[in-house]
Amino acid sequence: MSTKTSTGAIHNIGYRRYDGPRLGRSDIRKALYSQTLKGAFGIGRGVSGKLFPWFLVACAMLPALILVIVQSQVPVNPELGPQAITPLNHYVMFIIMVPMLYLGSQAPQAFSRDIRFKVLPLYFSRQLTSNDYVQARLLGLWTATSALLIAPLVLLYLGGLLISLPFLDTTLALLASSVSVLLLSAMMTVIAALIASVTPRRGLGAAAIIAVLVGSFTVAQFLQAIGHVFGNEQTAVWLGVTSPVSLYDGVQNFLFQGEPFNFMSTLLIPTPSMPAGLTLLLVSLGIVYGGWVLLNSRYRKVAAS
Amino acid sequence: MNGTIARLTFAGLLRGWRGLLLALLPLGFLAIALLMRVVDATDQATIDGLLGGLNMATVVPLVALIIGTGALATEIDDGSIIYLLTKPIKRGKIILTKLGIATLVALAFTVIPTIIGGILLTGTFGDVTIGYTVAVAVSTFVYCALFIMFSVISKHAVLVGLVYILLWEGLIVGLIEGARVLSVQSWGQSIAAQVTPDVFGNPLNGVLGAVLAVVAVIATSWFATTRLRSLTLASET
Amino acid sequence: MTITINRVSKWYGHVVAVNDVTMNIEPGITGLLGPNGAGKTTLLNMIAGFAAPSTGEVSLDGQPTWRNESIYRQIGLVPEREPMYDFLTGRKFVLANAKLHGLSDPGAAAEAAIAQVDMAEAADRTLDTYSKGMRQRMKMAAALVHNPQVLLLDEPFNGMDPRQRLHLMDLLRRMSADGRTVLFSSHILEEVEQLATHIEVMVAGRHAASGDFRAIRRLMTDRPHQYRLRSDNDRALAAALVADGLVVSVQVDAEDEALHVQTSDFGTFTVKLPKLARENKIRLYDVTPADESLESVFGYLVRG
Repeated sequence: MSTKTSTGAIHNIGYRRYDGPRLGRSDIRKALYSQTLKGAFGIGRGVSGKLFPWFLVACAMLPALILVIVQSQVPVNPELGPQAITPLNHYVMFIIMVPMLYLGSQAPQAFSRDIRFKVLPLYFSRQLTSNDYVQARLLGLWTATSALLIAPLVLLYLGGLLISLPFLDTTLALLASSVSVLLLSAMMTVIAALIASVTPRRGLGAAAIIAVLVGSFTVAQFLQAIGHVFGNEQTAVWLGVTSPVSLYDGVQNFLFQGEPFNFMSTLLIPTPSMPAGLTLLLVSLGIVYGGWVLLNSRYRKVAAS
Repeated sequence: MNGTIARLTFAGLLRGWRGLLLALLPLGFLAIALLMRVVDATDQATIDGLLGGLNMATVVPLVALIIGTGALATEIDDGSIIYLLTKPIKRGKIILTKLGIATLVALAFTVIPTIIGGILLTGTFGDVTIGYTVAVAVSTFVYCALFIMFSVISKHAVLVGLVYILLWEGLIVGLIEGARVLSVQSWGQSIAAQVTPDVFGNPLNGVLGAVLAVVAVIATSWFATTRLRSLTLASET
Repeated sequence: MTITINRVSKWYGHVVAVNDVTMNIEPGITGLLGPNGAGKTTLLNMIAGFAAPSTGEVSLDGQPTWRNESIYRQIGLVPEREPMYDFLTGRKFVLANAKLHGLSDPGAAAEAAIAQVDMAEAADRTLDTYSKGMRQRMKMAAALVHNPQVLLLDEPFNGMDPRQRLHLMDLLRRMSADGRTVLFSSHILEEVEQLATHIEVMVAGRHAASGDFRAIRRLMTDRPHQYRLRSDNDRALAAALVADGLVVSVQVDAEDEALHVQTSDFGTFTVKLPKLARENKIRLYDVTPADESLESVFGYLVRG
């Protein structure tokens, strides 16, 4: 029995092969990075996506604005000269809840959503490797968080210049705090990203991130209080390893001799000694690096599944 | 209260990471309290800092948030609420049942650790422990009502709740004394101060706090019911 | 029970999802047919009480559906989205639904519903182990457990294999034979053709056609088509058209400087018109069909 050959044909309806130059892996990474960064500020999302990040930006900037205004109105003490009301690094500690809330909302946005809606295969079916994905997302979120923290610092800096604080000192202070802020936001971002990558359900990620960041900070404060009472001076410093925020405080204190943030008037955390300071610095960098590695392995597992 | 809804809500509350987080938070608090006891650092300032600061201001609201939103927001979010809504059950009953279960579970995770912590720190089941327990119990209940309402009115109930806890109660109430009138925590404290007058410094007027707490629970539950009745499902196409 | 939809419109800001729809859904199987985005799901949501009409009324035997939880005694809804009580077994899920309805013997009702959808063997596994078709059937069991008079199904055949589809169609026919009102939405012509005794067609939010499937098809071919013609000599063209017998009616519109013609056989018309114009040395400037929307509905129904 012979089979009739069908007279089917595939017509050229416009689908064309693309033989021209293609962008490479690094371009994909860059695109993902900028998409993460823009998305973290609501650009490219709807109105509701812009509401929360910019509300937090306002929360971060407003106290700085108030401080600048107040500062410029306070009569200058002739002996001491113009004074800044708060040192830059203290301001960061003052608004520390803001970057925590920010990460609570934006880390799930950057990391949980792709897992939740199972679109990761779409990413990884291209040249993008899981490491690239992690790198781009993490750097984007880190840039956003750092910008959130550094912007009010710049505002305070300009305010300081307005009241004719010495130029060199203030500029150096800004640079010093910016570097420390980069470290702080790196630690917090990495931790938030890790938590977000394991909590795809909406809402739980935010609560978990806040619980870990706020909780660790509060615990660190208590431990430092105990250490101050029961150990020697440096014990309190050592115990700062328990939380990214206290790590940040210790490190920037150690590296740049900023004043430590004394959250309890009875507690005066001294400048870290050399071994303490180095340990704090190493732990901070270790957290960032360790988090990065863990995140990479998590996404490698997800990509393989 | 509807038994089936109660059972469904309860079963869904403690699953997965949620249960883990709920256990970790009070355990962290208790660990610190234990540590303080061990090193004998139980002066008044520490007690206030731990029971008032870590526990009542941080752990309790977070636990209530996780449970309050877990009781309703997740169901609305993934759409399974439709199985509760396509039944001839009054919406108010749904809200009240969820509030009841959420409160019971939350109380277990807040009151019990508070009592244990208080005993650890003060050595006795005395005024301090009782005072903080009452405050925590009241705030937990009001928080649950508040966060259940957030779950109905916003897709981002957890974030709104976090802003309330961290920015409003954490920051602004600390800075502006008048804002205490609108703080669940201070209502809890003011009611507790009626029972144990010396535990809390400068609380809000007890009667005012009680009235506001009652009004808040009724108002949020009523509002949540109204919004639940008009809940629209997004159309797919 | 009859679902009455009376001059219902629904808009979201500037987007009109449902545009002045009036229909009655009687007992029997009604198919709500239309392409994606036609407003079928919005209409179904309004009937099920999960959306409020911006104007008009949606009622079930006189009772409004919005903000009225008592209608759920009579309505069973099978939603499109997946349920998420994943930790429950199939049996427990249907049982919970039975209890929520306040049935006097929830266990028996649940068993009966599970048997009706042929899921008795798999009923003791948890929902997250089910395939898509199995989940759909469990959703049906949950919707049937309280013996509703009205069954609303949103794209029920999505993701079903042919055997499951046949089974579901069978089930729905049985429901309808009992005198129930079954309404299901679909954008697949064949499903509606095989199952529905009565169809309602929606296109772009408008109620485009209603009635028996074959009757609508006939109407499409029998219905006169309207065209608007512009030429350099309208009257001569009109005379030629009438003489040729191509058109059913001709109307000269002096104001518009056009000719409105109606023809019952548009196929022949479109072929003969240019010939006729050439023979009579008339230049045609413009030939526009006047009932565009119906054209598109027809095309949709025919091409599938």
